[in-house]
Amino acid sequence: MPKCTIDGREVEFQPGQNLIEVAKKVGVEIPYFCYHPGLSIVAQCRMCTVEIEKNPKLQTACSTPASDGMIVHTQSEKAKKNQRSVMEFLLVNHPLDCPICDKAGECDLQDNSYKFGDAYMRTSEDRRTYMDLDMGPVIKKNMNRCIHCTRCIRFGAEVAGIREMVAIQRGNNTEITTIDGRPLETEYAGNYSDICPTGSLTLKDFRFKKRAWFLKKTPTICEGCSRGCNMEIQHEGGQIYRSIPRENMEINQWWMCDEGRFNYRYTMEKDRIVEPRVVEAGASKRADWATAVAQARASVRGKKALVLIGSDLTQEEAQLIQQFAKQSLSGADVRHFGTPGIKSAGEDAAADKLLKRKSRTSNLHGVEKLGIGAFEGNTGAAEAVVVFRGGRAVLPEIKAGIWTVGIGVYHDSDSKKPGVILPGAAFSEKDGTVVNFQGKEQKLRRSVLPAGKSKLISEILALWTHQGVANKAGSKASVQAVTEGAV
Amino acid sequence: MSNLNFEQKQSAQSESGSIGGEPGGETLFIQHFKNDEARFLKYYHEKMAGYTALKKAFGMTPAAIVDEMKKSNLRGRGGAGFPTGIKWGFINDKTPFPRYLVCNADESEPGTFKDRDIMRYTPHLLIEGMVIGGYAISANVGYIYIRGEYTREAVLLDEAIEEAYAKGYLGKNIMGTGFDFDLTVHRGAGAYICGEETGLLNSLEGKRGEPRVKPPFPAQAGAFGKPTIVNNVETLANVPFIINRGGEWFSKLGRLERSGGTRLISVSGHVNKPGVYEIPAGSMTIRQIIYDLCGGMLNNGRLKAVIPGGSSAPVLTADEIDVIYDIDPLMKVNTMLGSAALMVVSEDQCVVKLIHRITKFYAHESCGQCTPCREGCHWMESIIERILHGKGREQDLALLADISDNIGGKTLCALGDAAAGPVASFVKKFKPDFEAYIRGGKHA
Amino acid sequence: MSKILSQKFYDEMKRLEPRYPTKVALLLPALHAAQRETSWLSPEVLEEVAAHVGIHPAQAREVASFYTMYNLKPVGKYHIKVCTNVACELRGADGLVKHCEKRLGIGLGQTTSDRRFTIHEEECLGACGTAPAMMLNDDYHEDLNVAKLDQILDQLP
Repeated sequence: MPKCTIDGREVEFQPGQNLIEVAKKVGVEIPYFCYHPGLSIVAQCRMCTVEIEKNPKLQTACSTPASDGMIVHTQSEKAKKNQRSVMEFLLVNHPLDCPICDKAGECDLQDNSYKFGDAYMRTSEDRRTYMDLDMGPVIKKNMNRCIHCTRCIRFGAEVAGIREMVAIQRGNNTEITTIDGRPLETEYAGNYSDICPTGSLTLKDFRFKKRAWFLKKTPTICEGCSRGCNMEIQHEGGQIYRSIPRENMEINQWWMCDEGRFNYRYTMEKDRIVEPRVVEAGASKRADWATAVAQARASVRGKKALVLIGSDLTQEEAQLIQQFAKQSLSGADVRHFGTPGIKSAGEDAAADKLLKRKSRTSNLHGVEKLGIGAFEGNTGAAEAVVVFRGGRAVLPEIKAGIWTVGIGVYHDSDSKKPGVILPGAAFSEKDGTVVNFQGKEQKLRRSVLPAGKSKLISEILALWTHQGVANKAGSKASVQAVTEGAV
Repeated sequence: MSNLNFEQKQSAQSESGSIGGEPGGETLFIQHFKNDEARFLKYYHEKMAGYTALKKAFGMTPAAIVDEMKKSNLRGRGGAGFPTGIKWGFINDKTPFPRYLVCNADESEPGTFKDRDIMRYTPHLLIEGMVIGGYAISANVGYIYIRGEYTREAVLLDEAIEEAYAKGYLGKNIMGTGFDFDLTVHRGAGAYICGEETGLLNSLEGKRGEPRVKPPFPAQAGAFGKPTIVNNVETLANVPFIINRGGEWFSKLGRLERSGGTRLISVSGHVNKPGVYEIPAGSMTIRQIIYDLCGGMLNNGRLKAVIPGGSSAPVLTADEIDVIYDIDPLMKVNTMLGSAALMVVSEDQCVVKLIHRITKFYAHESCGQCTPCREGCHWMESIIERILHGKGREQDLALLADISDNIGGKTLCALGDAAAGPVASFVKKFKPDFEAYIRGGKHA
Repeated sequence: MSKILSQKFYDEMKRLEPRYPTKVALLLPALHAAQRETSWLSPEVLEEVAAHVGIHPAQAREVASFYTMYNLKPVGKYHIKVCTNVACELRGADGLVKHCEKRLGIGLGQTTSDRRFTIHEEECLGACGTAPAMMLNDDYHEDLNVAKLDQILDQLP
């Protein structure tokens, strides 16, 4: 393997790797703004210049592939002076917005200025300013903060496949915009905020809500579709503030779609049912867990039951439900549902040219692996239907009167819902395993506790079977019953 | 209307003679300029090469043609001065197809106006040169990227091209050789940066004229991603002469080693006879050009400064004009020949205002991609403007010098260097003029 | 949507298309040809050009706004562009600009209220040997002085 030397450290590299990536291997940080491993190389910001022996001029590390025997100095006097000067040039026009800017604390400009720039200003000229135009519901643009790295333009053209983010004018007046206030059309607009190295493009959803350094970060998996993009839920004090993609070269590279990114919102909606509900005198009423579970059990006793399980639930939940159906519902049939029109994993396919899949739930492939068949739409001879779901699976049409119990995530605004509801945890509120379309098993990790009085499905099922046993025997036996899954 | 002006100008020029240097020095172009008949094919057949060079070229191998170009020591006439033969040699048998030959007719370097004369008076030299060039690098498609403002010249070029197509010098199976060559005039739309070869190629492709990262160079990936050679108008117009009379002859026309042929120089500013002149390369000093060729200083003014190579060239003072006007000698005194555009400044002109205008030009023309140029050019312009309005600070001159140092050599293309070099040179050589504003209370 | 540009425009595009390997390369010639008809490139015109060339309207706008010759705002019947770069400044462009502004009663970058004249300053036009120079629409006028400028403007229909 070829070798080069960076700041005195010898390092092996793959032919074609640029110096920024090679330097990372030996722990040398070369600062940059316009470079992004997922986008084309433009060598525009000039921040990553390094000194290479036998080369009279500084070279940009991003556009220079390492070569055998190359000797690189990233912190020579010449290289350091240029880093300071690029930072100075960028700050000539960049406004001192840090106290009011969302990006503070996770801002490339701040970080590079602190590490590689000077601590004083030599300019006394007025900063250039722009009039902002709106860009739609996802992204807030503040053009004054832009450092013209053009990552957003390249993302739009190369990844999102739509050249809607463009640069108009030229020189110091260059403005990056969607012209005439058009809203961004792409379904991947959230990524603009991820890649922007300053607070020029930020998420409207996150605006002014929380300082980045207060956020706790939990790695988990998106439940938006069967791709299972790796993501991170950022939360504090039991509330979710943001979710962003995590890098996974095999599944979602560096990106995620807006639907997945903002999916977490439903878990916090005010009309989410987070207390058990029972039917009383024909109306739906809140109740305590014991009452609700009792009513649920009563409503299926003696009837031929059908269990529908959303393919947005985890492997562990699905297995528990299979066991439950066998032992507590007299071997009721278990069928999965999720995306209208996509009945089986075989029908799942790419829904766009980037990440989205036709299956709008995360575990279609997983539940099928457990041998659960698809719900064809006909409840057949069933007299009672128990529907388990997370927040994504689309409720199928069920004949009125036979849908008795709903377990999982429901909203008041769901036009179809049963009288008895046992509220369950959403994807952000539990651990579990999901299987994506590539057959990869991935782990959900719990970020926050189940909302309100919601419980984990395992807890709900334990309650159900415990009541059954407790009715027949004492509490000791009921513990045994829980572990043995008795009726 | 402008023709009237030209006729008046013409008589003034022909009096002084347009041949410089030693008597009997041969000129290739100037005798045909200002002649409204010269652009027609009829004239070209009777008085000039008349596509005989093309015929001769078809009897040579491409490799032999490239060899002849190397012998000629023709150096690119656009400003970079890169040896043309070596450039053409970048395309060889292993280079994939298709290939393109592009003529850089974007002439926008302030002070330069010689390509304009070639295109409106002797366009067939350019066309013939391009067909030969196309044959030498096996390119079947050529483009002439002409700056948008040269509306009339683009029309005249199109007419000449039409004549050439009609006579079979362009198109399919030229002169029965089986070689095809199509030539299209592509108009720019007002951007100096499109004179930079990769900016030009992006503009040709229908994009913003922003320069590209090099490598890859145009010979590897140029127009539409294919191997391309980009040459200046004057460079290509010299090709028929080189083919007809040999590279060695051409090389000897020039007076210096490694600099063959004659040069078309554009002289403007405070001289009595501004205009295009043709001199053997390296045959005159700047002093001789100003006083012998161009009739001396306008209104007997005193010389203050000379900008030797278009506004991108660092300035020379009145004491520094005894240098030979060619590429290598000027480089030795830390300036450049560039596009051979000599601008002469008398003491009537405030040099601080002048460098302000120059810096304003670069700030206006900067494409905005890279940080030092985008921010630095505008910053320098603002500082000098502030100085002009009497609000200069003591540290501003050192600051200008440092900003210039931080831009030069650090940008994606040469526009940064073009902006930085002049500022540093004016600040260094005309410090008292700046200080008159900063300390002396002078006001614009 | 009904077309703004004439059949002549589309015929010209058809003539040029085989000369380039991509359709996008037609963009600069297309913008020139469109502006010849409509005098300035409105968002609707840009959209029509973009549709013909096969690009997003934003792309047409980003390219058009890069080049100074494309008018993205309406201009007067006579668009005067006076060069104020080095050689012309050395030969009196300043005075010419001031005279122009005074005579027309507008400043640089403005249009007269009767929409007849717009004046801009321009970068080097390549007429330095015959400085000072200006462009009036497509034509160059060189060797100017105040008297000649007045004469040129007086003779305009």
